[in-house]
Amino acid sequence: MKYTTFNQTPTNPLLEPMFFGNPVNVARYDQQKHSIFEKLIEKQISFFWRPEEVDVSKDRVDFQSLSESEKHIFISNLKYQTLLDSVQGRSPNIAFLPIISLPELETWTETWSFFETIHSRSYTHILRNLFTEPSAIFDDIVVNEQIKQRAGDISKYYDDLIFYTQLWQTQGEGVHTVDGIAHTVNMRELKKKLYLCMNSVNALEAIRFYVSFACTFAFAERELMEGNSKIIRLIARDENLHLTSTQHILNLWQKGKDDPEMAEIAEELKDEAKAIFMQAVEQEKQWAGYLFAQGSMIGLNEEILCQYVEYIANHRMSAIGMGQPFDVTSNPLPWMNNYLNSDNVQVAPQESEISSYLVGQIDAEVSASDFDDFDL
Amino acid sequence: MSEKKPFVITLESDHEPIHTDPSDTILESLEKHQIEVHYHCREGFCGACRSKLICGEIDYTTDPLAYIDDDEFLPCCSVALGDIKIKLV
Ligand code: FES
Ligand SMILES: [Fe+2]
Ligand SMILES: [Fe+2]
Repeated sequence: MKYTTFNQTPTNPLLEPMFFGNPVNVARYDQQKHSIFEKLIEKQISFFWRPEEVDVSKDRVDFQSLSESEKHIFISNLKYQTLLDSVQGRSPNIAFLPIISLPELETWTETWSFFETIHSRSYTHILRNLFTEPSAIFDDIVVNEQIKQRAGDISKYYDDLIFYTQLWQTQGEGVHTVDGIAHTVNMRELKKKLYLCMNSVNALEAIRFYVSFACTFAFAERELMEGNSKIIRLIARDENLHLTSTQHILNLWQKGKDDPEMAEIAEELKDEAKAIFMQAVEQEKQWAGYLFAQGSMIGLNEEILCQYVEYIANHRMSAIGMGQPFDVTSNPLPWMNNYLNSDNVQVAPQESEISSYLVGQIDAEVSASDFDDFDL
Repeated sequence: MSEKKPFVITLESDHEPIHTDPSDTILESLEKHQIEVHYHCREGFCGACRSKLICGEIDYTTDPLAYIDDDEFLPCCSVALGDIKIKLV
């Protein structure tokens, strides 16, 4: 079915499925088929923040004092996060928008992706502060073997869905040969690709950031790189919301509360979906190994980090009916909770280190004599 | 502030039942008794504290956004309306 930016056939969005129904026409939010997405939009917008509001200048001195192995840990994590947000800043838009049928889900996806671009911009803010010339860091993201391995796994489900959607929207269902390879395009195949893709995105939002978050907050526990930690806390709060959205989508499908064919597919691809999650867990543990290959950092080691990944994975997997495959029952890094708590996250306007408010402060300093010429 | 009588939270584990101040969230009550509950946001949107409500009634202090199954609830943004029995996930 050809994509149209404004479907002129009247539709009732209250009767459409989330995906692969009619294209959205009117962007209306007075009524929703799934009100959760409207609530997530409002919550995400209420979280709005700008990287420049967080002063990271003190981190530069801290960074110089880190050991070589700690520098490796810090920079590698930033590279990995830059990769993740590069993908997330564009892919939900490109992969999901052309096949979404509900206005509230369409806008949620755009809002979600927009916040991922704020995350990307914050990495530039952090790196510019640490290095006069951060190019080498960014350039390495595309050639670093460890990062490439992860990039492949993260983008392949998106790319597959995008390619098949393009074939379907331009040529319809059927067998289409592109560069000598035959591709069978039908609705069932498209929906299966969507299901696997959503599972891969869910795993990304659920656990792929957490090794890196743990390192950031372990530095902050030692009062190091605190500007960076403040930014990562804002990012973590957003990621929690993104995860909530993918959990809702997967559960709406599984429980037959949306497209009944997606409920069948969820059952059919149960093992494959679980394997995607387990693979992400495995890759995160390997990442912990790579980080600590050149030496550890105070407060963290590979073993405890791997246990933390398993602990988080248990929680995230049980939320989507995958059970709790790992044997960790208590939180190996309990102090992490304090950093992931949104009460501690608010960027307080009165904080002197927030540069944008300092600008306001100059104007706000008005003395009584300024009103001398003032007649009422 | 509460003339209301405290409610009892029973856990489906070896832990002895605890008394809760009706003005505390269930998460706060559990924490006051040194019971470890996983949490992140404490505002009902992340789902980290998701637990099972085996019996009894609760009320939400904020609209929960996190995904919860029919027999589950979020301790971080709910209060007990009477005695309850829960199981931590
Ligand atoms: S701690 Fe986030 S939902 Fe309860
Ligand atoms: Fe992000
Ligand atoms: Fe995200």
